[in-house]
Amino acid sequence: MSWDQVLELLKNIVLTQTGIPSITFKEIIMICVGLFFLYLAIAKEYEPLLLMPIGFGIFLVNFPLTPLMGYTEHGNPELIRAFYKYGIEWEIIPCVIFLGLGAMTDFGPLIANPKTLIIGAGAQLGVFITYIGTLFFGFTLKEAASVGIIGGADGPTTIYLTAKLAPHLLGANALAAYSYMAMVPLIQPPIMRLMTTIDQRKIKMRQLRDVSQREKLLFPLIATVLIVLLIPAVAPLMGMFMFGNLMRECGVVKRLSDTAQNALMNIVTIFLGLSVGATMQANTFLTWKPLFIFTFGLFDFVVCTFGGILTVHIMNLFLKEKINPLIGSAGVSAVPMSARVSHVEGLKADKDNWLIMHAMGPNLAGVIGSAAAAGMFIAMFN
Amino acid sequence: MINKNIKFNILFRYLRISLSLLSCIFLYSSNSFAAFGDDIEKPRPEFTVGEDKISAKFIPRAKSTSVIIDFKASGGKLVNVAGVDFEALQRPELDIKNYKSSFFEIKLENVELDSEATIHLFSNFFSSSTAFWVVTKDQKETWINTEAQKNIHPDRVYELVVKAKDGGPSDMDGAVDGRITLIGGPKDSFWGYALGTLFIRFFGIFLVLGLLMIGMIISGKVFSRIMKKKDDPIPSVDENLISSKAAAAIAVALKIHLSAGKERLRPDQVYNEEQSTWSQQGCKRIMSDRSLVFNRQT
Repeated sequence: MSWDQVLELLKNIVLTQTGIPSITFKEIIMICVGLFFLYLAIAKEYEPLLLMPIGFGIFLVNFPLTPLMGYTEHGNPELIRAFYKYGIEWEIIPCVIFLGLGAMTDFGPLIANPKTLIIGAGAQLGVFITYIGTLFFGFTLKEAASVGIIGGADGPTTIYLTAKLAPHLLGANALAAYSYMAMVPLIQPPIMRLMTTIDQRKIKMRQLRDVSQREKLLFPLIATVLIVLLIPAVAPLMGMFMFGNLMRECGVVKRLSDTAQNALMNIVTIFLGLSVGATMQANTFLTWKPLFIFTFGLFDFVVCTFGGILTVHIMNLFLKEKINPLIGSAGVSAVPMSARVSHVEGLKADKDNWLIMHAMGPNLAGVIGSAAAAGMFIAMFN
Repeated sequence: MINKNIKFNILFRYLRISLSLLSCIFLYSSNSFAAFGDDIEKPRPEFTVGEDKISAKFIPRAKSTSVIIDFKASGGKLVNVAGVDFEALQRPELDIKNYKSSFFEIKLENVELDSEATIHLFSNFFSSSTAFWVVTKDQKETWINTEAQKNIHPDRVYELVVKAKDGGPSDMDGAVDGRITLIGGPKDSFWGYALGTLFIRFFGIFLVLGLLMIGMIISGKVFSRIMKKKDDPIPSVDENLISSKAAAAIAVALKIHLSAGKERLRPDQVYNEEQSTWSQQGCKRIMSDRSLVFNRQT
């Protein structure tokens, strides 16, 4: 073999079998985006359990010629495409995550103070305002609904609805939802302070009543009957959520409950993060739409916080025993982050004001509310 | 006063930003953003020809499931129905969003010369507000509402009855030749639908959660009554097994715990600075333990 032939072989290998000559400027940008989210997850610990796999998914999938998100010659999905296809396209992972969330959730504070359910409904205001706002920018009805749900601050719900209605926006929507959920302690306090007076922030709420185990056991059954009867479209999410909670509260399937809360949840989180990240390939992601989605996502969170607090103000007009309006912001269902924010803001106004348990009520109501909103949207398009 | 001024300034700043944003939205009207990427929801009807009808099956705009429109005719023979691309019509003055079911070219033959034929469209996708608009040859009035009559049938099927005259304004061949060609589609107001559904669904969430609240208030009252009736025996405790500090902390925690729902005891009545630090610590611990279950990461 002559030197020329060796050089030609080398040249062919470099040109056809490595990604170096194929890499584009857009892909480099996306790799940097991936690294940025990895930085946020690892260095800043912003929602690391999800932003880390999402960030790595973006980072990995944007290298050229990688057999990850395509199909083989025989039509079989490549590695991450398979995670995406069977996990997200088939709507399995978000529902399994809801199962785990149900198994993790103690509905005690919500059962003790059911009035907080109304706050959870009021905090969905942003979802619908954003839905209309995005329509002005030429988004289709389905796209608008999937962007609106970001304000519900519920990752699995956002992913579930987007995968169903506008799968091409999945990456941007999921990223916006999880990023803003991580930024709840930055986004919410200024709005909370703006919408409340010092005296309102000092309102002390009565200690929550004791909730018996039987009541907790019955709650998932009652909630399933009512919600699934009224919004059948939300049955996959709500059904799994309440099933997980029933496993937790019945006390006879501790192993199953433990698996749903830990091992199963962790496994699906890995696949969810990677596949969501992998949908953000340069050619599909680098358009104007993700920018609009990030802008509207922030607006959505702001209006949802506003809606929750406003609902408490309205409720206080009719209630003898006043509710601290700070817990209204917890209607944004970033569990338990927004409840903690309410608690911290309450402590700033009065160091003896313990709001965490009171804020958990609207927080859990927000989860049910955002799932209900998703169900409403799904039903609208069926 | 200063605090109020600062608040007002912040509010004013938010308002200004919002107004600027809204102005931008209206400056760039929805039409300018209509070409925001491809028309990803373009309906692609598939036709099947039956004995006396032609059916179109397609996924309309803003829907996830397919719908069927059945076409029938009287006063002439329905020979063909085909889908028409919006772009091919070259009518940019129309908002495609109002035509969720695409456009159709409907051809009739054997129509009595210079007389009217009737086209019947059946679908459960239509509503009481659906109209049928057709394109005309007239360059001034390019689109007209056919003022279709609406009849409702069982299973929420609406019938649109569209009349067309051979050689009339809606007949695209323009000639009195016993043949009628109509190009048009069912029209529903996009913004009317979007805004209507916004209110209905937002208040729908209040309704669902409100009903759940009522259910829980009722069950809570029942359970509270049951719990009041029940007398739990007090467990005996070996005093040597527990330190006096821990016992006091537990006592304070139990005081908060058991008094809940029975008397209007607020945390500040039990937990205040006059109490010793270790009893406060007891309160804190019990509160922290209770909040641990919510400390989930995803």
